[in-house]
Amino acid sequence: MNLSALPYGSDGIARRTALKQLALACGLALSASSLSALAASFSAPTDFSRRKKTLLSSDQLQLLRELGDIIIPTTDTPGAIAAGVHDFINHYAAYCASSAEQQQLLATLARIEAGARSEFNKAFLTLTKAQQLQLLNAMEQAQNGFSQADRKGLKQLKALVVFGYYTSEPGASQELAYLAIPGGYKGNFKLKEIGRAWALNF
Amino acid sequence: MEKNIYIIKTQEVFDAIVVGSGIAGGWAAKELTEKGLKTLMVERGRPVEHRKDYIGEGLKAWQMPFRGAVEKALVDEQHYVQKKCYAFNDATKHFFGNDKDFPYSTPKDKPFDWIRGNQLGGKSLLWHRQSYRWSDHDFNSNARDGEGVDWPIRYKDIEQWYDKVELHAGISGSTENLEILPDSQFLPPFEMNAVEKEMKARIEKKWSTRKLIIGRTAHLSVPAPHHLAQGRLQCQARNECQKGCSFGAYFSTQSSTLPSALATNNLSIATNSIVHSVIYDPKTNRATGVRVIDAETLETREYFAKVIFLCASTLGTTQIMLNSVSESFPTGIANSSGALGHYLMDHLYGAGAMGRVEGFEEDYYSGRRPIGLVMPRFRDYNEKNPNFKRGYFYMAGAQRANWEHIGASDGFGANFKAAIRQPGPWYFNLSGSGEMLPRYENQVSLHPTLKDKWGMPQLHIDCSFSDNDWKMMEDIADTAANMLEAIGLKDVKKDIRAKRDWNPGLSIHEMGTARMGKDPKTSVLNGWNQAHDVPNLFVTDGACMTSSASQNPSLTYMALTARAADYAVQQLKLGKI
Repeated sequence: MNLSALPYGSDGIARRTALKQLALACGLALSASSLSALAASFSAPTDFSRRKKTLLSSDQLQLLRELGDIIIPTTDTPGAIAAGVHDFINHYAAYCASSAEQQQLLATLARIEAGARSEFNKAFLTLTKAQQLQLLNAMEQAQNGFSQADRKGLKQLKALVVFGYYTSEPGASQELAYLAIPGGYKGNFKLKEIGRAWALNF
Repeated sequence: MEKNIYIIKTQEVFDAIVVGSGIAGGWAAKELTEKGLKTLMVERGRPVEHRKDYIGEGLKAWQMPFRGAVEKALVDEQHYVQKKCYAFNDATKHFFGNDKDFPYSTPKDKPFDWIRGNQLGGKSLLWHRQSYRWSDHDFNSNARDGEGVDWPIRYKDIEQWYDKVELHAGISGSTENLEILPDSQFLPPFEMNAVEKEMKARIEKKWSTRKLIIGRTAHLSVPAPHHLAQGRLQCQARNECQKGCSFGAYFSTQSSTLPSALATNNLSIATNSIVHSVIYDPKTNRATGVRVIDAETLETREYFAKVIFLCASTLGTTQIMLNSVSESFPTGIANSSGALGHYLMDHLYGAGAMGRVEGFEEDYYSGRRPIGLVMPRFRDYNEKNPNFKRGYFYMAGAQRANWEHIGASDGFGANFKAAIRQPGPWYFNLSGSGEMLPRYENQVSLHPTLKDKWGMPQLHIDCSFSDNDWKMMEDIADTAANMLEAIGLKDVKKDIRAKRDWNPGLSIHEMGTARMGKDPKTSVLNGWNQAHDVPNLFVTDGACMTSSASQNPSLTYMALTARAADYAVQQLKLGKI
């Protein structure tokens, strides 16, 4: 049940129809109170105008975009680029990270770029996929001149990509499984009924 | 909600004033109005209307600008304490207090985390909804080991009031016939998953003294007809409760007690009304009303009534009482005993253990169950204590690892993504809730000089864990780890968060500071939650508690409040107060 298509805003016919379908899908009796509860439980999205500042230069953002694609590529579902993970991190880091965390992220991007220059004498974005992976694997394993601190920085960057992707709409509702209104808890549910992990615990 | 129930200024002398609108205040208002009393509910915060004002409800992670995180600048400025609460996020933050506006002080080496919910509905919108009766083991605890004063009541005094509040609120759980954790009037229990059932079987086979049961929670697992009639619907297992629930599936003031109180037409509400103090008349030895500061205009006004219920939260109530000084009561109203402000308790949380369960790869669950499991108390009950007084119970649960855990592994690309798509291994945890002793030294007082922006003297909170508390936390962690290893779990890790970041207060079960007792010389309230010194003054929130037991206390506040309201109305009708 994909609820992302549910229309927001005023109580139009489309919205009421969608809510009725939702109520049926949830096994809710179609009482007036259940429909009004459902209507009320779908808030309008919050204001994204709170999100204007960014942390990264356009070069840094391009590098982060590419790294996102290497970490979580498009497969049979969209990857990090399609989910806009780089843009999310650019805002998130500006607003929610401490200055130490911001510096760590910037330093990691710089370290990756410097690693590409010293190992291949090229910009990271111009390396082949195999070269990019070779470099990142060495960094994650703290080998070939990469330190434990470099590994820690890469882990932080990966954690941001993972957070940004699996809390995005495609990451949560296409790559993983998500029910906005599960309708109840089933304790004897088998994995094969859904075939993948649930996305969110909140 | 009709707008005309909200009042600002009035000359009316009400039958009753209820200060606070959370779990206790909502119950006081419901019971008093249903018994015919014209009642004024006084709330320091803004109105919150059921459904309409749940502005974060239904928001999915990607509909929030920072996916649930709150801007650091805002947290640093306004929520530097509240951020520590597990339920604080971008979709709930408006139900938490603004720390800048609600300052308090502590000794430098004794941090205390005071979590606040200052709006109509109070923390009933934010609570974790676990609901457990106390037993005679709990009401006898102080008498048994001499810590604190004896409770003036026993289980038989409160049993019928538990019945009453449970039927109205709706408590889901399983009937177990345990003396240590008496059954409630239950709605059907939530299900356990396959691994939880296996853990239960393994533990109960090894220990006849230990049971693992589904938690008891104020959720409509299956609503009764009277719940449906009130507009409350079945729990949908979203587990996003603190955003507000338009299904009314969990008990809150808004979903449950306020509609009942409003239906009587006996309720008025004054919001944005900060109670400064209780007005006392020495000629009659009665509380006659409350002095109020308007939260928005800072103007002062007074409200009057024949009986006053303080339900402003444990520390909020005590702050008001300490600030209600007169010639008769120079250290705070109804404080001839000197006990007011003392014997502050919380629960000992954050100690426990976790381990990996092998197998069960085909098993999963659907829905986000809003409750875990519990293992009722065995320490100081049917098993001996190693080296400390009192005991604890465990909260428990089994879940599979997901992207938050697997995403930390090494690797890149399609394989990395594919590994996260599948749920990871099962983990089972045991996490304690320990009883904190009532100690005179754990106390609150009014700061001699510091005031908040409304001119109220700030509370100075001086509270720390005792040697007994630390020994209990060690035992909680050790016993959990040993139990998990004994039933075959792998990678068992134990933890005591109080050593790192869990301060007193953060369990949000602050209790005591205006305790009940038999003797007016050593306690503030009698067995009816009535002030020994001032017969028309009642305190029915957590401030009244004489010991802390180990169970979540809110259900007991509900029952004590309903019982006290019944008594107060009787006394009023008899002309005794």
